[in-house]
Amino acid sequence: MFAEYLTSGVKAGVVAGLVFGLFVAVAANPLVAYADEVNHGVETTHDHAVESGHGDAGHHESAVSATVTDAVSVLSGWLWAVLLGGVVFGAGYYFLEPAIPGTGATKSYVLAFAGFVTVSGAPWLVLPPVAPGAEQSLSVDARLPLYAGMMVAGALTCLLSGYAYDRLSATRGVLPAAAAAAVPFGLLALAPVVAPTNAVHGALPAALGAGLTGLFVFGQLLLWVLLAAAHARFAPATTDARSVAATGPDAVGAD
Amino acid sequence: MSATNDTVHDRFERARTELSPVQAAAAVALAASLGFALLFVQDPLFHDAMHNFRHAAGVTCH
Repeated sequence: MFAEYLTSGVKAGVVAGLVFGLFVAVAANPLVAYADEVNHGVETTHDHAVESGHGDAGHHESAVSATVTDAVSVLSGWLWAVLLGGVVFGAGYYFLEPAIPGTGATKSYVLAFAGFVTVSGAPWLVLPPVAPGAEQSLSVDARLPLYAGMMVAGALTCLLSGYAYDRLSATRGVLPAAAAAAVPFGLLALAPVVAPTNAVHGALPAALGAGLTGLFVFGQLLLWVLLAAAHARFAPATTDARSVAATGPDAVGAD
Repeated sequence: MSATNDTVHDRFERARTELSPVQAAAAVALAASLGFALLFVQDPLFHDAMHNFRHAAGVTCH
């Protein structure tokens, strides 16, 4: 049974990954390259101001060529979706299915929301995606544990919210349960108040930086919607008693 | 399939009978290594090659 769940999760990841890989290929690759070029142009101008006759500096500070970066980034985007599919929609769905609110496809979308909050949403409250080339005041050594800590906080928030919903929807009805489920997210939203601030200073025009950040947020949201939609198609026939009772035996395994 | 296991606790019990500890450890190690490689590995060769992807995923290290 575990293998069946893992397979459907990885399948959802493979399908969503094709689209996300395409997103990296047609949107992220050219835009990040352009942003790096704009940054480089700004830096070069500074260099000329300090020491004239600097000449044509190395086009790219990267350790690898642009072609390799493009190809590896597309492959990474695909692997990223496969990883999320396997971990969240494979193993995660196997263990948590009975506790996820809703029935049928709704469960896939609720899990996708929880996955987004855990992997990206909660960490972004403290460390929002930054435009290429921006300087950040916190060091990498300080940001990695902060990012990981916010992932844990996001996961706990979602588990607590789901637990509250399950307990109250059985006794008090759906509306009070939904209100209680929102409380942990309200607490999570207070995290930026206590977390250390990360001042971001970028050389890019503000509008371009904001556009890039918005595009990358949109890209992750798109990825999770795709994962949920694909998983709703591939999900194994439920063995969860509540869902069976709610949808009727005919509906189960109809897909 | 019959509607037998309907709590999270049952799923964990079921996983314990279904999977050997070695299988479970292998699955966790595989997922962890892939996640670590994609997001956190700091070797310049790997890190720079995934530069565009990491921006697209909203995880930035520079």
